[in-house]
Amino acid sequence: MDRYTEIDHTADWAFRAYGSTLQELFENAAYAIFALEGALDAQSTLTREIKVEGVDREALLVNWLNELLFLQETKHETFQKFNFTEFSDTKLKATIHGAPAKAVTKFIKAVTFHDLKIEQTDKGWQATIVVDV
Amino acid sequence: MITKHDLERISEFVWQVPRELRADMRVPARMYADEELLDDALQDKSVEQLMNTATLPGIVKYAIAMPDIHLGYGAPVGGVFATATSDGVISPGAVGYDINCGVRVLASQLNAEEIRPHLRDLATELYSNCPSGVGVSGTVNLRAEDLDDILNRGSDWTLERGYALADDLPRTEEYGRIPYADAAQVSHKAKERGRDQLGTLGAGNHFIEVDRITRIYDDAAARVLNLFENQIVVQIHCGSRGLGHQVCQDYVDRFQRVVKEYNIVLPDRELVAAPYKSPEGQEYAAAMGAAANFAFANRQVLAFHIRRSFANVLKGHVRDFALHQVYDIAHNMAKVEDHIIGGEITRVLVHRKGATRAFGPDSPVLPDDLKPIGQPVLIPGSMGTMSFILVGTAGSMAQTFGSSCHGAGRVWSRRRAKKEIRGDKLRAEMEDRGIAVRAGSLSGLAEEAPQAYKDVSRVVQVVDAAGIGKRVARLEPLAVIKG
Repeated sequence: MDRYTEIDHTADWAFRAYGSTLQELFENAAYAIFALEGALDAQSTLTREIKVEGVDREALLVNWLNELLFLQETKHETFQKFNFTEFSDTKLKATIHGAPAKAVTKFIKAVTFHDLKIEQTDKGWQATIVVDV
Repeated sequence: MITKHDLERISEFVWQVPRELRADMRVPARMYADEELLDDALQDKSVEQLMNTATLPGIVKYAIAMPDIHLGYGAPVGGVFATATSDGVISPGAVGYDINCGVRVLASQLNAEEIRPHLRDLATELYSNCPSGVGVSGTVNLRAEDLDDILNRGSDWTLERGYALADDLPRTEEYGRIPYADAAQVSHKAKERGRDQLGTLGAGNHFIEVDRITRIYDDAAARVLNLFENQIVVQIHCGSRGLGHQVCQDYVDRFQRVVKEYNIVLPDRELVAAPYKSPEGQEYAAAMGAAANFAFANRQVLAFHIRRSFANVLKGHVRDFALHQVYDIAHNMAKVEDHIIGGEITRVLVHRKGATRAFGPDSPVLPDDLKPIGQPVLIPGSMGTMSFILVGTAGSMAQTFGSSCHGAGRVWSRRRAKKEIRGDKLRAEMEDRGIAVRAGSLSGLAEEAPQAYKDVSRVVQVVDAAGIGKRVARLEPLAVIKG
């Protein structure tokens, strides 16, 4: 299964993330963010523990991805591996692995709620995500 | 999908989406376009996004799409709507993440021939003095109290610190200071993002351009604005950077938690809204105002760097390298304004997402020297093509809540542009045409290729012909600086 596929959007970027479980969907959506920015690093040299909350499953996904973008911008780090130590519809805790940011040229301003729906399919889970660039 | 057959033609350039087309619309929607631009707008879901805004509680008259409308998230880019402050909502998603993304134009007394020998040096100097790109810090070291001061006072802070000339402020929308801004409503996270970003351009479609005026349409307005043919001017396009993005995220998330309490049902969660008069609505308005002040200050510090660059390169070579501010406008904002609706002056909250305020002559908020001509409206075109300076009109006041278009408007996705355009080739083509290009990212350059956009002159022509703006001058680029 692909981790994500890019979708056409006139002004911004959109992608569909997949996962056999909901957690894997969240993991792959996070991976897609850094992959689309061209910011993935081969080596993970640093680790952070983060905690995110949201009013429901969709809000949790948006806040999770936005938290990663916040860390990228303020700490100048990128992330590529994500392990959840706690995971519910409204709250998650994760250990994230990454590296100091390379000079990236692409930049996502924010992840939006637009057209966002987390869906269960025959193969697992998927979500379409529109980001502001 | 909506087709042309669903629309009523109100006049040559105005098309109405009837309210009856969808049960949840509270008012109709109106699109400003010629036939070709209308076809562009109907190719994706931007009209659906426009219709979504027409469902917001308290919306008055009609939702509006400018001729540069294109697909966004929540509200379409090029969307304008007004909600009554008495019982209407405010929507952070309909303002967008880059709060007070906007444009500033500075004008020199130089003509193109005087600057041409120095153009490459000037482009290089601008690129090195105006920090651009992703994760790049600005040159201003801010203490926490400085940042709060900027958020509360915008351009006033820059004047005090020597980044502005006194004449710049009256030539800035709201004089560069939103009065209801409150730094206390801006989160620590937002402040952390903004702390090292004052005076930075960012990436994406943001740019600095050195342009030449290639046509004057309105001599009287041009005289007031001190614009003439062949004159060198500079455009800045950028916004509130990470600080504004975080303010929008914070309130989109916060509003998701209360939207049900206010019984607001929405077709798109990104349009999430709360009553303007509610505590959440008031706090967002104050935070948005603060982010807007940060953006005004950001463009002001960039203007300072641009003036410094002109001095460094041109001193001793040309007679006069001073730059006066023509105007500075915001194009992602929600603002409290008075408009005549049904014959009565009504206080409304005008949401403009990728749309420009365009107040007509005699507007009380304009400085005296601009009252005879109306507010300058700055319309950047796609990279390497042309841009326009317009003024607001009585028509924009009557038809569009004093609003006009904001740019060319995209037609291609970034993915398609990346696939079809090579950044290095595009740069070479522009260089061949005598345009100096300084860019941090070639693929970023490709995404902004002119082919990816509508024809800005067509957009502006519709605005002019529909009477919601009046052309004053046309600009063509000599140097492009991008992140």
